[in-house]
Amino acid sequence: MKNLKPLFDAIAEEMTLYVPTRLGEYYSFSRYDPSDATEAVFNNIRVSAPVKEFLFPMREVASTFGGQAPSEQKIKPFAVFGLKNCDLRGIKVLDCVFAEAEFLDPSYVARRDKMFIISGDCFDPAETCFCNMVGGRPFADEGFDLNLSKVKGGFLVQAGSDRGSRFVKENGRMFSDVPSGAAAERDENRKQAQGRLDEINAEYLLDNPINEIVEDCYDSPLFEEEAAGCVECQGCTRVCPTCHCFYLYDTKQKDYFGKMKMWDSCMRCDYATVAGGQNPHKILGDRSRHRLMHKFVYFLERYGIEMCVGCGRCVEGCAGGSEVRQLLKKLNEELKGKKQAKAAR
Amino acid sequence: MNENPYQPINAEIVDIVEESPTIKTFVIVPENKFKFETGQFVELTLPGEGEAPFTPSSSPKQTDRMDISIMKAGRVTGLLHECRKGQKVGIRGPYGKGYPIDSFAGKEVLIVGGGVGLAPIRSLFLTLVDRIQDFKSVVCRFGARAPEDLIYKESLFGEWPKLDGVDMKLTVDTGGNGWSGNVGVVTTIVKADDVSVKNAVAVICGPPIMMKFATKQALEYGFRPEDIYLSMEKNMSCGIGKCGHCMLGKYYVCKDGPVFTYEQIRKYPKIWE
Repeated sequence: MKNLKPLFDAIAEEMTLYVPTRLGEYYSFSRYDPSDATEAVFNNIRVSAPVKEFLFPMREVASTFGGQAPSEQKIKPFAVFGLKNCDLRGIKVLDCVFAEAEFLDPSYVARRDKMFIISGDCFDPAETCFCNMVGGRPFADEGFDLNLSKVKGGFLVQAGSDRGSRFVKENGRMFSDVPSGAAAERDENRKQAQGRLDEINAEYLLDNPINEIVEDCYDSPLFEEEAAGCVECQGCTRVCPTCHCFYLYDTKQKDYFGKMKMWDSCMRCDYATVAGGQNPHKILGDRSRHRLMHKFVYFLERYGIEMCVGCGRCVEGCAGGSEVRQLLKKLNEELKGKKQAKAAR
Repeated sequence: MNENPYQPINAEIVDIVEESPTIKTFVIVPENKFKFETGQFVELTLPGEGEAPFTPSSSPKQTDRMDISIMKAGRVTGLLHECRKGQKVGIRGPYGKGYPIDSFAGKEVLIVGGGVGLAPIRSLFLTLVDRIQDFKSVVCRFGARAPEDLIYKESLFGEWPKLDGVDMKLTVDTGGNGWSGNVGVVTTIVKADDVSVKNAVAVICGPPIMMKFATKQALEYGFRPEDIYLSMEKNMSCGIGKCGHCMLGKYYVCKDGPVFTYEQIRKYPKIWE
């Protein structure tokens, strides 16, 4: 495939398509308008906004009660272009929570079902990227309908689902056979991106698995120290593609009552406070510890995967200059020290 | 089960009993029969105002109505206390895991309760006495801050202590009002020989500080951590292990609890906060 525009147009004929647009040095998602002459962008890294917005909106009606409730909004098919492997791994995390068989979240499942995913290889990782530290790679093997890899003169397209294969078959005219050497070029590009990630994160190399580091340093004063610059804006949890805390609140509408579901943040002071006033996470350090424990220990124990995908959005978005890699590195040193002291004894 | 887990079913408050200056029992009739296991909780919605988690205090045998005893402690409970008979409410649930009653069979069951913690205990108690022959004995040690704060007075001073197989003692932190019983926190009436710990379980429910000391005492008396059952209070919101607020270590109190053995949660710090 040579250009993105025919692909975008073909998808947009069938459903609403969201594509990355440049926003200074970052990207944001916009609804694709076929009549728009702006150049289609193949983003080098993930878009700044988390993909969860498409599946788990910041605020939505969870249920209605009494009176004349409006009929349920029907979710229409939609497509998102420009997702990266970290985004796909983020969706996998959300699936664990919201598509858990015991209690399906109906609106999440409906949206997930209608979402057509077109991912792309990362070709120039940013300084904030650290997927390689949490078992990720800058390209996807699964979790997409279509995946694009940029090569000289065009894109290599891979279908990753029945829906994706069907799309390729139905739109055969826009695809040509893979030119010789293109696959090798893609593999080389991928290797380079991985090498770049290794360079970027060389200073954060850890000696132990992250879950072990965080769990064994539970009592570390570093959580409190590192939280010193935190201004409690909760930005880290908002932009995180895997953070999924929400709160339910009730509203009075003109003709009915609505139970709303809205993003919440474990960094918020009264997040865990009960009616009697007890709060297990009173201190900021408690909350930042809990955030890391949830990401790297509790979620892993429960669902078998880590809740951090290394997208670096929390690093990029932190108003207080906090850096999760730095904290992990310091905790790593602390654990190393502990282990050495133990060995010496 | 309802397809949308966030959708409450319609219910109505049909009666209100004033139990103490801060606690009322609301008798609630749901539009459909509502089944639960003792110790499980429900989310009670005051339409348009808010929702809060409560463990029903009635017997699970009763599926056409349920009692919910509520202490005025925050915004939603304050509004509920202002409600009158006929108020429409919503119920979601039941959620979580209750008391594993069957595993108590053949054992002595020591129940230590305080304050509004007697609410879930009443449901448990009614369930136990219903098949009292299955248990060696049911030993109750209940407390409240002051005589007027004891709830279910009619039962506590009436029928319950007289039931076969039941041994019940009461205490208050501060006497007065003609109180002639024990004065002291609830741990002052729990004695080492109340039950034979080798073949007993302890169920503890009350304010966090009381649970902390009652658990400590039970351990000192020789109860194994896996035989101590605690009803944990956390900020349960969604009820289905998703919203995150009630996490206790790796557990969601709403889904994995609210009843835990001490063994399950002992490794986590700050469990009483």
